[in-house]
Amino acid sequence: MSTGPDIDLVDLGIMWDRLQAITDEILLSIVRTSFSVGVREAWDLACVMFDADGRSIAQATLSMPAFIGTAPATMRHMLERYPAATWRPGDVVVTNDPWLGTGHTPDICVARAAFVGGVLVGFVMTISHLPDIGGVGLSVTNKSVYEEGLILPLCKLYVAGEPDTTLHDLIGANVRVPDQVFGDLLADVSGCIVGERLIGEFMAEYGLTGLGPLADGIIGQSEGAARARIADIPDGVYRHSVQVEGMDEAVTLACAVTIKGGSVHVDFEGTGPSVPFAVNVPLCYTSAFATFTVKCLTTPSIPNNQGAVLPVSVSAPEGCILNAQRPSPTGGRHSVGWFVVPLIMGALADAVPDRVQAEAGMASLFIVRSTTAEGRAKVTQYFLAGGLGAMKGLDGHHCTPFPTNNAVVASEVWEDETGVEIKCRRLLPDSGGAGEFRGGLGQYVEMTNASPRPVTVFMFGMRTEFPAQGYRGGGPGAARRILLNGDAIAPKGRLDLAPGDTLSFYEAGGGGYGDPRARDPERVLADVEDGAVSAEGARRDYGVAVDPEQYPSD
Amino acid sequence: MPVTCRVGIDIGGTFTDFALLGSAGNRLVISKRLTTPKDPSEAVLLGLPVLLEKAGAAIGDVEAIVHGTTLVTNAIIERRGAPTAMICTEGFGDVLEIARERRYDMYDLASTYPKPLVPKRLRGEVRERIGADGGVLTPLDPDDARQSIRRLVEERGAEALAVCLLNSPANRTHEDAIAALAAEMYPHLYICTSADILPFMREYERWTTATMNAYVGPMFGGYLDRLEGGLAEQGFRGALYIMSSSGGMMAPEAGRRYPVRLLESGPAAGVLQTANVGKLLGIPDLLSFDMGGTTAKGALVRGGAPLKRYEMEVARVHDFKMGSGLPAKIPVIDLIEIGAGGGSIAAINARGTIQVGPKSAGADPGPVCYGLGGSDPTLTDANLTLGYLDADFFLGGEMPLDATAVGEALAMGVGRPLQVSEERAAWGIHESVNEDISRAFRNHASERGFDYRACVMVAFGGSGPAHACRVARKLRVPTVIFPPAAGVMSAVGLLSTPLSFETFRSGRVELSSLTPEAFEARFAPLIDEALSLLKLGDAATGDVTITRRLDMRYRGQGYELEVPLPDLPAREVLRALPDLYTGVYEQVFAKSFPAEPLEIINWKVEASVPLAGLSGTPRLDAANGGNALKGKRKAYEPVSGRFVDTPVYDRYALGAGDRLEGPALIEERESTGLIGAGDSARVDGHGNLVVTIAGTA
Repeated sequence: MSTGPDIDLVDLGIMWDRLQAITDEILLSIVRTSFSVGVREAWDLACVMFDADGRSIAQATLSMPAFIGTAPATMRHMLERYPAATWRPGDVVVTNDPWLGTGHTPDICVARAAFVGGVLVGFVMTISHLPDIGGVGLSVTNKSVYEEGLILPLCKLYVAGEPDTTLHDLIGANVRVPDQVFGDLLADVSGCIVGERLIGEFMAEYGLTGLGPLADGIIGQSEGAARARIADIPDGVYRHSVQVEGMDEAVTLACAVTIKGGSVHVDFEGTGPSVPFAVNVPLCYTSAFATFTVKCLTTPSIPNNQGAVLPVSVSAPEGCILNAQRPSPTGGRHSVGWFVVPLIMGALADAVPDRVQAEAGMASLFIVRSTTAEGRAKVTQYFLAGGLGAMKGLDGHHCTPFPTNNAVVASEVWEDETGVEIKCRRLLPDSGGAGEFRGGLGQYVEMTNASPRPVTVFMFGMRTEFPAQGYRGGGPGAARRILLNGDAIAPKGRLDLAPGDTLSFYEAGGGGYGDPRARDPERVLADVEDGAVSAEGARRDYGVAVDPEQYPSD
Repeated sequence: MPVTCRVGIDIGGTFTDFALLGSAGNRLVISKRLTTPKDPSEAVLLGLPVLLEKAGAAIGDVEAIVHGTTLVTNAIIERRGAPTAMICTEGFGDVLEIARERRYDMYDLASTYPKPLVPKRLRGEVRERIGADGGVLTPLDPDDARQSIRRLVEERGAEALAVCLLNSPANRTHEDAIAALAAEMYPHLYICTSADILPFMREYERWTTATMNAYVGPMFGGYLDRLEGGLAEQGFRGALYIMSSSGGMMAPEAGRRYPVRLLESGPAAGVLQTANVGKLLGIPDLLSFDMGGTTAKGALVRGGAPLKRYEMEVARVHDFKMGSGLPAKIPVIDLIEIGAGGGSIAAINARGTIQVGPKSAGADPGPVCYGLGGSDPTLTDANLTLGYLDADFFLGGEMPLDATAVGEALAMGVGRPLQVSEERAAWGIHESVNEDISRAFRNHASERGFDYRACVMVAFGGSGPAHACRVARKLRVPTVIFPPAAGVMSAVGLLSTPLSFETFRSGRVELSSLTPEAFEARFAPLIDEALSLLKLGDAATGDVTITRRLDMRYRGQGYELEVPLPDLPAREVLRALPDLYTGVYEQVFAKSFPAEPLEIINWKVEASVPLAGLSGTPRLDAANGGNALKGKRKAYEPVSGRFVDTPVYDRYALGAGDRLEGPALIEERESTGLIGAGDSARVDGHGNLVVTIAGTA
């Protein structure tokens, strides 16, 4: 069995799988032991393994995609503050600083060193979305990060296995549900301990004395594959801009993507300034979605590690909304940050037409505060997805979130939980952008407060003014519309639903790909039969005449 | 007394396995043949006379045939079901298509999703509405319903109908009324209702399951007719049973009504047999590891019972990925399925390392060494190259393997791209599969709070015994058992499977508000229904066991846990429930007990009855006696990294008390066991080969 630096590709594949398995097992152990709904139901967490030099080598498969890029940067900050040589067994370093962690305060990053035979061989980091971190709570109306709760700088939650009681007391005094918060923190730390044991068993099985040579192999293979796929893109500078609705006025996001010799640099020069609402994006989150986009376009099937990050670099003017500075509020950073993906993909649409996906309708995320008949307060998170964008050879899937990936709530569960009755959920015909490959459809959902009590809704919507754009001649998807008792309302903000009030969502469709007139008429007919395209839409958008007798709409 | 016997037949993706048990002395006879994918009943009807001849039995002696089949799964994968319509609540006709609103792969933009089994033109909506609490918000208009049914059947050609209404688990009267109308209008239409299939909340999953049931209903009925007819022609006069996915047998009538419950029919039997082995040896916690030609399957047995769940996924459309299939809410043994078996094809993936599966060469053309035209290297080819298989003793020599083209295929597919030798490539393939399987076990066990390091693995299937010891070593599982007839263990499991049927009701109620009378009244109709669906035939005797379970949760939680109830009077059960729930909760979540009241969400009843005449160990009718050591051959030994002379033992010549040391190969007709260097093995009094894994103590 090989040890040391001469790991051949046969062993590399096998050992790589094991590290992947270890991070998966850690993640599942956290999900099992954590109590908060965010972790248990929505999988809002991640686990990343690093070698002794702080290079990420494996990430749990079901980790949230945003953490692909933030975790390596967080580890780097931790090692700058606490150099590797100073870590002792049982030391646990944490932070939730938006600029050092994941971009907003509810996410806590927890890292612990893995010692095998008394030697530091690597680190395990877990990240989870805490049920509460104090402050006002998650709302777009916050004006500064100081309203967004307790910020833990890079600090040691445990020293040589012993909890720092002052720090624990401080956290306990600042959060609404300390039992749940400490429960989740403990789950994170326990996950790191499980990881250390599994790494030790793995190294013993293969007779390894360190993870370094293995990390070289993993990162080398991943980086090599990513760079080779980047090198397929013609060298050049590709520019693009998109518009995003803010609170008062639209914000412009702009980028110049430089492809050169197997590397990508994204510069966000031209992007508009930060705003006094909690939709600002720290650079770490911007970088994460830049890396995510490049990964989708190059090596989607390779498990995540540092190799995917190395070929990508990012710069943005200080103070722009994609490089927000302290104390800008960042709680809802996703509602602008998600647009980094279509921004970069749009820049490369003509350079790699076979790989890009037209813009997605994205999703409406809203939080509902209701009271039960017994007077108990309930908070429920709900989301509705618009359509995915089309890509060459593939129609966009209906009602699918992108780039995030929340979990759905069934109508039956929703009604039972909230007393809000869902009147209908239908696909919206013609909402998918026309194209040789059609954008995915959005949906129409109508809900009525059927309870005798008021219900409060906090909304984080988008794409009401700027629909998902098509690529290569494909048409845009339909825009999102949100109506209260039939009148259009703003997509972000707070809303009170009185008994009997009706809230309606027209979820945005995805953009189309390619000239609609080039679409196979058989597929247009199939769409009419499936109700994805109306007879009129077939004629108008695709130039295909459909006998309305043959395809009655019902 | 006439000598009667029972036959178990398990149709897998690659092989159809047969096992016959004679009531005189528990004599067990087994055989195996290639599956006939186009019409699986063909292999059954061809193989049965062969098995009977081998056993020296006549068809008239067979009192029961127990049958596991992948037919239902395949019909859905290949979309060979009936034109199926659905009737649903007005406003919700697109639920099947809106689906789960979740991507199953974070980075793969080209992910694809399954199309619903019922297309738009076959979906009808009717005016009616049940509220979340079961109250009628909008009454059903029968004329509207009739009109909708008529259009779907007469204009759109529906041959099966699933009635799927919102909140039907809380009140199923509208679904039942529509089903009754449809049955009255079209007596030959196949009809089912979503609350009857499984009355749990979450409309997308429940409706998908109901449409799946309707989709395969007519086809499965036809298959049963053909099979029953063919068996009758051969002179079969006994009872036919079908294995359900939850580890019980169903009568054909129950199978016709609930074909969707047969989705994991075959694999369940193997897990049950693992539990049987555990029972016999007094081992409560086990890992069941089954590996065949196409897939590997694992399951956990805790406290003597296989873990179950109520959701699985069928017909994955994208690289076997979880999330890319259709969900089915049915009672099912909690299986891990890995797209890796003997026929799995090895290739180089995007990261430049070996990947085995999920593509499989199947039975046709099969691995390169089958000589049937396959050219991609498979796991079986790798195992042959490593010396783990004997080319002249595959299926006992009935199907000799041809090694000539294997080296080139390995070099072409794996060796040259990685710049390693054929042998090194073969080892990489073998070990990658071991690692994949270990990973699947780790994840599965971690999710369920199951400590795999303290249990025993039972390994079987055509390829399982060749990989088990190495997988166990990775998992630090200290003991591996190869039961007799490991190569056809699912078929053997079928022979001792009890008849059983499980029924359900949902009904949320706060525990503290329940009187013992109300508690009993909730269960009573479920017990009646379960008993009537058992269809006790002549083969069944003995007392029926009624097992009651509840899904419970703390109020406000979004997930429930299942609590098995003790067989005690209602008053005592109610008193014990809080502690029972806490016990289950602790097992899964380790800690955190919220100060919320307890609620019951779902009510479950399982009625089961063991088949008569089976106790003790089946005695494999193949014992050779004579010299167990057949010889030696060169086989790869990973610790030294060399091919070494490895003793080869005849599984059937090993007797109770025999001991041997690894590395060693143990051959039986249907499979070959590989015991690693440092491992030691002995044969126990039941014919089990018990292997102690090195370095796990």
